[in-house]
Amino acid sequence: MMVPVSTTLTLNVNGVNRTATVSDTGMPLLWVLRDILGLTGTKYGCGIEICGACTVLVNGQAEKSCVMDVGSAVGKPIMTVEGLAVDPDGQKAQAAWIANQVPQCGYCQPGMLMVTVGAMKAGHHGASIGSENSNVCVCGTYQRINQAVQGL
Amino acid sequence: MSGSVDRRAVLTGAAATALVIPVAVVATRNAATLAVASTSGTATASTTQPPGAALGAYLQIDSANNVKLFIGPSEMGQGIMTGLGQLVAEELMLNWSQLSVEHATATAASPNPFANPMFGAQITGGSTSIRGWYIPLRTAAAKARDMLFAAAEAATPGGGWQLASGGKVTNGVTTFNFSDLVAAAAKLTPPSSVTLATTRNVIGKRLHRTDIPAKVDGSAVFGIDVQIPGMVFASVIHCPTSGGIVASMPSSQNGATLINLGDAVGVIATNTWSAMNAAQSLASAIKWTLPTNLASRDSVQILATAQSLLTSTTVTPRIYESVGGIDPAAALGQATTKIDATYNLPYLAHACMEVLNCTAVVTPTSAEIWAPTQGQAMCFPTIMGITGLPASAISVHTTYLGGGLGRKIEQDYISQAVKIAKQIGKPVKLVWSRKQDFQNDKYRPCASIRVQAGADAAGNITALLYRNVSPSINIQRNTTPGNNPEDTGAVAGAVGLPYAIANRRIEFVPNPADIPLGYWRSVGESYNTFAVESAIDELALAMGKDPVALRRSLLTSANPRLLGVLNAVDKLSGWSTTAPPKGSARGVAILSGFGSYIGLVAEISGSATSIRVNKMFCAIDCGVAINPDSIEAQVQGGIAHGLSAALWGQVTFASGIPNVTNFSNYRVLRRAEMPAVSVAIVPSTEAPGGVGETGVPCVAPAVANAFAKLTGVRVRTLPFFPGATMSDG
Repeated sequence: MMVPVSTTLTLNVNGVNRTATVSDTGMPLLWVLRDILGLTGTKYGCGIEICGACTVLVNGQAEKSCVMDVGSAVGKPIMTVEGLAVDPDGQKAQAAWIANQVPQCGYCQPGMLMVTVGAMKAGHHGASIGSENSNVCVCGTYQRINQAVQGL
Repeated sequence: MSGSVDRRAVLTGAAATALVIPVAVVATRNAATLAVASTSGTATASTTQPPGAALGAYLQIDSANNVKLFIGPSEMGQGIMTGLGQLVAEELMLNWSQLSVEHATATAASPNPFANPMFGAQITGGSTSIRGWYIPLRTAAAKARDMLFAAAEAATPGGGWQLASGGKVTNGVTTFNFSDLVAAAAKLTPPSSVTLATTRNVIGKRLHRTDIPAKVDGSAVFGIDVQIPGMVFASVIHCPTSGGIVASMPSSQNGATLINLGDAVGVIATNTWSAMNAAQSLASAIKWTLPTNLASRDSVQILATAQSLLTSTTVTPRIYESVGGIDPAAALGQATTKIDATYNLPYLAHACMEVLNCTAVVTPTSAEIWAPTQGQAMCFPTIMGITGLPASAISVHTTYLGGGLGRKIEQDYISQAVKIAKQIGKPVKLVWSRKQDFQNDKYRPCASIRVQAGADAAGNITALLYRNVSPSINIQRNTTPGNNPEDTGAVAGAVGLPYAIANRRIEFVPNPADIPLGYWRSVGESYNTFAVESAIDELALAMGKDPVALRRSLLTSANPRLLGVLNAVDKLSGWSTTAPPKGSARGVAILSGFGSYIGLVAEISGSATSIRVNKMFCAIDCGVAINPDSIEAQVQGGIAHGLSAALWGQVTFASGIPNVTNFSNYRVLRRAEMPAVSVAIVPSTEAPGGVGETGVPCVAPAVANAFAKLTGVRVRTLPFFPGATMSDG
């Protein structure tokens, strides 16, 4: 039996320093956010960096948090869907999502929004934002995502 | 869940300023019984709603005149909160911004006021929520309106009360907010009959969905997001072979507590990741007892059985429809044009974005769950069976569903969470891994369908012999030995065809396969419509007729609405007027189902080995369109779902072991592959029809028909491209 060795890390999430005690610094950022910090907006979808439901921004770049060791996120600003409302790009994306009535079940949308905001921060506009996005939406909201990014 | 009840009204516990009007939704024999129970006794949220109404949905009006509607159907993306909210807002002249909608907590109330009136049970499925609630919920709201009028009259006699927009009652002299009247109104006996609003200020409008703001800021609580103080995290591992049960298992793994769940092992840990890892690492440490007949869980064997049954003359088929005075087999003999085609469709997974999960708290005297469930009605017997508690001790909280698609009507994951919570005596959140979710689905049945049809020299279709061989959901779920239930759902989409076909026989032969089956968005139509609409197309080609023109000629005056959508999609797509772009081809399919009518035209380009679905044109007649934007969204989504299945969807089993493990080997449509979908909603004043499933069944045949036109190759076996994979984009 493994003996868990706890490590306390400091993560900067949405501009706030948060401490998280983990038994393994290889624990994916996704589960630290969800199960330890209680930030459940970031979603588990596939666990193998395909579906993108877990996407967050680390250092302003879209990352799939389901495969990102939490240790590698220490010292870097992390933005989750909960932080969009206080980010100018995030606000624009949220407004576009509402104006175009994008979500159906909504489960994948935090990831869709984070990919979009990551693309905006990388200098993309309009359709080129969409080209960054290969996240999976089983509801099929893609057409509205394509519409929503047009104005961004 | 005890305490005295005021029969007509209750101040809710946590929100003591909010008053509740219980309103009779379903006009039953005992309209005076508006009892409500006290609030939930647990330390968790959801105390804003008084559970246990004997009748009626609840409208809650707070002191700021905000109106809250509690609903029975589960919001899984179809927009039901918004649709039902619009019905109430129309009747009560509410401003859209003053209305909020929440899931009701399901309790043991009998009759259950949140049971879908179409089923008499609280189940979300079959595209029935708007159909079931359209009149009952408006009636409930209209009763509330009349009770508010009566309360106004009692306060200030004078008569002439009517609604004013924004939740007000006025007679031109005196004006009340609903909130001024709700306490008095709640003490009144609901009227036995009411007049429904004839205005259409809200119904038919493209109002913004009530649930979307929470779905763009991370605050929407899906089942997987539920957090209960003191909860532990759990995951499961099932036998890698379908149908296996635990023979022996270790008592712990990497410090995680293990629980024998019969056909799975539950793993308890301090976070979901640890629980999933421990579960996966158990695979070789658990000994499983495999089912004896693995051939019945092997795709090759199952397909071989199906092919044999398709042509068997000794098996006795179940004849689910027989029309015409001549045996279709004899009529076929006289036909001048004939087709004999066999279509094969695979098992499919649901692949909801949100994996199966359930949070449970079980004490010696109560049980409470929070779950993304479509089947509240079934949760009660599930929980009662495990805990031995009476229904009155059980609460079922419905969260948002990260997709339901029929999978979340099932009880396996509910049952597991309740068993674990009972055994460990702590709140537990159970979350399946994606691999467990894919490998332990209740799969859409595979189906093999033989269609023999013929036409006479005059172009009349004179014969249709249709045999569906597929595993039966109903038979598999039969728990009474010796009972052999019917399963007409297996031929849904094949019986009652709208076409003028003189002599037809629709047969069903159950395939005795043991792969676990479930209800997959559009259920029987998801395979029968592929066979029917492909066969009609094949017949058109054999007869030298245009596929739209042939369908039009076969639709009788008894089917004006289906003819209407066919004509509408003809116009929308330019089928009869404009040739498709060079290198493209179109295919059509139509369906009368779920109380609605739909016509679909697919426009595709490419080759036999690679196609692109560029455009989808859809006309739908779903009766009164409550929210056209939601309808369009459901059609767009149904098309995406249907395309994923048609192009790539397939689960195969090797002696019971499923081939799929994740999205990596169960490819689904992605953004760049989404066709441009155009939707025409045919105006109608008929009662609302279903929309959630309606968009799915025509996709595969429309694409196959376009593919035949484009390439000359007829695809009769789905998916188009088996074995497709998907990687990080």
